[in-house]
Amino acid sequence: MPLRLTDDFKAKAARVCAAYPRKDAALIPLLQELQREKGYVAEEAMDALAAFLELPYARVKAVVTFYTMFNRAPVGKYHLQVCRNISCHMAGAPGLLARLREKLGISEGETTRDGLFTLSSVECLGACGSAPVLQVNEHYFEKMDERTLDALLDDMRHGRLRAADF
Amino acid sequence: MPRITIDGRPIEVEKGVTLLEAAQRLGVHIPRYCYHPKLSVSGNCRMCLVEIEKAPKLVTACSTEAADGMAVLTMSEKVKTARRDVLEFLLINHPLDCPVCDQAGECGLQDYYMEHSLAKSRFPAEDKVRRQKRRVLGPHLVLDNERCILCTRCVRFCSEVTRTSELEVMERADHSFIDLKEGRALDNGYSLNIADICPVGAWTSRDFRFKQRVWFLKKTPTVCLGCATGCLTEVHHNENTIYRVVPRPNAETNTWLCDAGRMTYKAVQAGDRLAKGVIKNGLIDLEPALRETASRIDEAHGALAVLGSPWLSVEDNAALARLAKDALKTADFSFDFSAEQGVKDGILINKDPAPNAAGARRVQAAFGGTSFAELSAKVASGAVKVLVTEARAAALLKDALKAGGARLIVFAANRSEIPAGAYATLPYASYFETPGTFINFQGLERRTQPAVTAAEGVKPLWAMVNKLAVYSGTSLRLESAQDALKGIDLK
Amino acid sequence: MENILLKDKVASLEGYFAAGGYRALKKALAMKPADVTAEVKASGLRGRGGAGFPAGLKWSFIPKDAQGPRYLVCNADEGEPGTFKDRELLLRNPHALIEGMVIAGWAIGAQTGYIYIRGEFAAEARLLERELFAARAKGFVGRNVLGSGFDFELFVHRGAGAYICGEETALLESLEGFKGQPRLKPPFPAVKGLFGAPTVINNVETLAAVPAIIDKGGAWYASMGTPKSAGTKLFCVSGPVNKPGVYELPLGVPFRELLEKHCGGMKEGKKLKAVLPGGSSTPVLTAAEAMAVALDYEALAAAGSMLGSGAVIIIDESQCMVKLLQVLARFYHHESCGQCTPCREGCGWIEKLLNRLEAGKGSGRDIDTLYSAADAMLGRTICPLADAMAMPAMSFVKKFRGEFEAHAAGKCCGPDGGAR
Repeated sequence: MPLRLTDDFKAKAARVCAAYPRKDAALIPLLQELQREKGYVAEEAMDALAAFLELPYARVKAVVTFYTMFNRAPVGKYHLQVCRNISCHMAGAPGLLARLREKLGISEGETTRDGLFTLSSVECLGACGSAPVLQVNEHYFEKMDERTLDALLDDMRHGRLRAADF
Repeated sequence: MPRITIDGRPIEVEKGVTLLEAAQRLGVHIPRYCYHPKLSVSGNCRMCLVEIEKAPKLVTACSTEAADGMAVLTMSEKVKTARRDVLEFLLINHPLDCPVCDQAGECGLQDYYMEHSLAKSRFPAEDKVRRQKRRVLGPHLVLDNERCILCTRCVRFCSEVTRTSELEVMERADHSFIDLKEGRALDNGYSLNIADICPVGAWTSRDFRFKQRVWFLKKTPTVCLGCATGCLTEVHHNENTIYRVVPRPNAETNTWLCDAGRMTYKAVQAGDRLAKGVIKNGLIDLEPALRETASRIDEAHGALAVLGSPWLSVEDNAALARLAKDALKTADFSFDFSAEQGVKDGILINKDPAPNAAGARRVQAAFGGTSFAELSAKVASGAVKVLVTEARAAALLKDALKAGGARLIVFAANRSEIPAGAYATLPYASYFETPGTFINFQGLERRTQPAVTAAEGVKPLWAMVNKLAVYSGTSLRLESAQDALKGIDLK
Repeated sequence: MENILLKDKVASLEGYFAAGGYRALKKALAMKPADVTAEVKASGLRGRGGAGFPAGLKWSFIPKDAQGPRYLVCNADEGEPGTFKDRELLLRNPHALIEGMVIAGWAIGAQTGYIYIRGEFAAEARLLERELFAARAKGFVGRNVLGSGFDFELFVHRGAGAYICGEETALLESLEGFKGQPRLKPPFPAVKGLFGAPTVINNVETLAAVPAIIDKGGAWYASMGTPKSAGTKLFCVSGPVNKPGVYELPLGVPFRELLEKHCGGMKEGKKLKAVLPGGSSTPVLTAAEAMAVALDYEALAAAGSMLGSGAVIIIDESQCMVKLLQVLARFYHHESCGQCTPCREGCGWIEKLLNRLEAGKGSGRDIDTLYSAADAMLGRTICPLADAMAMPAMSFVKKFRGEFEAHAAGKCCGPDGGAR
C-alpha cells in the first residue's frame, strides 16, 4: 500500500530542506525522520520520499542500503548494538555479545519473539575510552560488564527504562 | 597547450585532455573498465593506473588531465604490477563461468588477463562471494551480478544517457551489487546498449544469449533503417544468419543504438518472410505472380499511379520512377515525402519513422512527378485503377485507396507488412541482403551492405521492377543498382 | 601548561563566555579575513582529523576571485577506531567549535557552515543544536554576527552510519544526500566542494583550536609543541591502561609519559605488547618502538607510523595479534564503500585469510598472500581506506610474524598459548 506522507512530516521536511541549497540534500535527514516515526524505513517510505524529493527510487534505495543506521525491517523496542571493534574487543565485547545471545536466545540480526529486543553487533561507536560500549537505540551505555548488562536488561524488561527516554 | 611525453614519445594536447585520451592519440591503449568516452569519468576500476615520473603514486589515466612537462609511463614495472594486482582483485570473486558465458571472446577480463596477467589463482573457489545470477530484467536483458565488476558503466548510462536512473549500486564493499526497483523492468528503449558497454558478462542480451559464440561472428558495417536518424551499425552474422546488430559509433550520428533499431534484423529471418508472390491471399510462384500483376496493369489502360516509398533505398525508388515514366507511361507518380524530422527523445529516435524521405525527394528532383497531395487526391477520386507502391507506403494512402477503389500492387518483404485489400504482392530483398543508399535526416548519404544473402529467387526491388516492366512489355535495362541511379544527384 | 580545549566549566554558553569565550570572534571580525588566515598559518595548526595538513594553508586555497557561495564544513564524523576525542570536546566545550567555525567562516568568506556529526552521536547532536540556539540568540551566529554585517548560518547535519564519511569528499557526498563515496581529486574541495562551491573541511579539534589562536596569537600557539608539530593535541587512549581517556598534551610528548604519567600505566601490571599510535589505520608499533617515540607528526613518521587522529590504542601481552587484525579486517571490509577495485575486493580477501589463519586452518602461504594482497592495495585507490587496511595488516605481519606462523601451525599464541 502506498505510504502517504503526513502534513506534519511535510512541514518538518520543508524546515529541513531550508537548510540546504538543494532539496535532495535533505534525503538522509528525512529518511531519519521517517525511521524515527516507524522504527524502520519501509519500501513504501522510500517510494514516498523519492516522489516527494523528485528523486529516482534507486538513489533512495542505494542510500538506505549504504548507511548502516537505516533499519530495513522493524526492530525491537530496544535495539541492542554491541560495539565489536578493537578497543571494545579487548575490553570484553565478545563476552557481552555471547551473554546477550544466551540471555535473549537470539543471534545478531534477530529480534526476540516478544518484540522487545533486537541484537546487533556494530563497528566503532567512538567511545573507546569507556569500552566496552553498548548502544541501545540512540543511547550509549559505557564501561559495560556482565553485572551492569544484566541490570540494564532487567530494567528494560520491567519497563524501568522507557524506550521513549532515548 | 600542455606538452607531455608518453613512454618517451612527445605529444601536445589541448588543455583538459586526459592522459588516457592523449595516449589513445599516440595509439597507446591503456587498459580500462569503468572509463567510457561518452560517460562521465568515475575512476573506480583502477585498471588505467599509469606512472608519472617523479610522482609518488600511480594515477588513473582516465581522470588525470595532461599538464605541461608530465613524463607518463604506461609500461613501467610499477604500472605492470598494478595492472596485475587490479586484475587479481577483480578475479578473486569472479565466477568460473567462462565456458557458459556469452561474453567469452569479447570479455574485458579475459582479454586483459591474457595480456597483462596470466597469474594463477590464489583464492579458493569456495570463498567467492555469491550473488544473484541470471536475473531477467526487462524485455532485453539478463543480469548476472556474480560476474559484475561494479564499473558502474550501466548505472551511468541510465542516469546520463537515458536519464531514467533505474540502476544503482546497492549496499557496499564486496557485497555491493547492481539493482533496480523490485518488479520494475529495465525498458528504457536503449537498454541493449548496456549489454554492449558492460565490459564483462554481467549484462547480456536475452536475444543473443546462447545463440552463437562471438568468435564465429562475421561483422558487416551497415546502416539502421529503423527511422530517419540512420544510425551506423554493424551486423553480426554467421552462415547466413544474423545474430545481432550493434552500433558503429561515429561523430555524426550515433554512439548508441536503440532497442527497436537493433531488432530490425528480426524481420529478415522471420517466418513470414516472402520468397514468392501473393495474389489476393494466396502464395504463388514469382513468375505467375508477375504475369498476373502485369495483366492487371495492362487492364488499367493507363489509369495507373506509382508511389515511391521513404522506406526504400534511392536505387529502388529510382527504379519505381523509371517504371512509372518509361514502362507504365504515367505522369501520376510521386516521391514527395515530407514528414517532420528530428530526434524526438533527445537521444536517437527520430520523429520520422521512415529512413529515407530525403532519398525519395532526391529521386523526385531527378524524375519529377506530382506532389503527394495531388497523387492522393487523384487516387481518392477513382481516376486511378491500379496503384503500384511499397507495402508501408501504401498505408499513407489508406483513406484515398478506400475512397477511390484502386487495385493495389505492393512490394513487400514480409507477409505481415501487406496492407489489407492488396491485390498483388511482390517480394524483394531486404537491405540486410542487398546494398542501398539512404539519406538520413541530417542529409548524410549512407549505404547499406549486405550481411546475408536473400532466399533463392528473391531479388532486390529494382530488379523486380525491371522484371515487372518486361512482363508489361517494356525493358528498363536495369542490370545493376547503379543503372537505376543514373541522373540522380548523389555523392 | 593550561588546557586550551578540554577545560572545565565551559560546557554552557554562560560558562564559556565568562571564561573569555567569543572574545576572539569579536577580535577576528575587526580583522581582515586574510589576516585571520595568516594568524592561523602562523600558529602552525595542522589538521587534527588524521592527515595533519596545515589548516591555514587549507583555508588559503579557496580561490580569491570565486563568485557565489562558499562553505565551511566541520568533520565531526569521528569514526576511526580508537578515536573519541571530538565527542569529549563537543560535550565539554561545544562553543569552542561554534566560535571557531564562525571565525573560520569569516576568514574564508563562507556564509554557511555545516557540522557533519556521525549519526550515532545523537546526544551530542542534540547538545550542539541546543548550544547553537543559545549562540544564535546572543548574536554569535546567524545574521549580522555581533553587528559586524557578517552573516553566518550554521547547521548540524547527522550522518547515518558509514566510517567512510570521515573522508572529506565522502562526507561532502553524504551531506549532499548521496552515498558516501569519495570523489576523485582534483578538483579539490577548496575549488569544487560542497554543492560544487569552494569549501573548507576541518576536523572538530582543528576548528576548536582557532579561537585561542586568534585570542592569544599564532606565535603563542606555535610556542607549544614542537617546531613542526605546534600546539596541543587531544590524545585518546584506549585499551588496558589504568586511566583510559582523552588527554590534552603538547605535541611531542613522549609516549612513555602519556602511558605512565597520565594514564597510570598498564592495567593489572600487564606487559605492553604493541601500540596503534594514531587509530586503527596506522602502522602498529612494538612496545620497544612505542616506548622510544614522541607523539608528534614527524617523530611518528620517522618511527614508521603516523600520528593520525591521536587515538592511541594500547595492546597488552594477553592479546592475540592475529585476532586483533581479524577484528580490524572485519571492520574495514564492513566499511569499504565498494567503489575502487583494490579496496572493495581486497578488504574482504584479507578478512577471509585472517578468518582462516585465526581458526588455525591457514598456512604459511596464507601469511604471504595476506601481506602481498595488502601491499597491492596500498596507494592504488581514490581514498585512503585501502591504505588504512593495508598499513596495519602489513605492519602486524612484519612485526608479529611469529604469532601468525603459530596460527598457521594450528596453535594460538593467546594467553594460554595452547593448541586450539
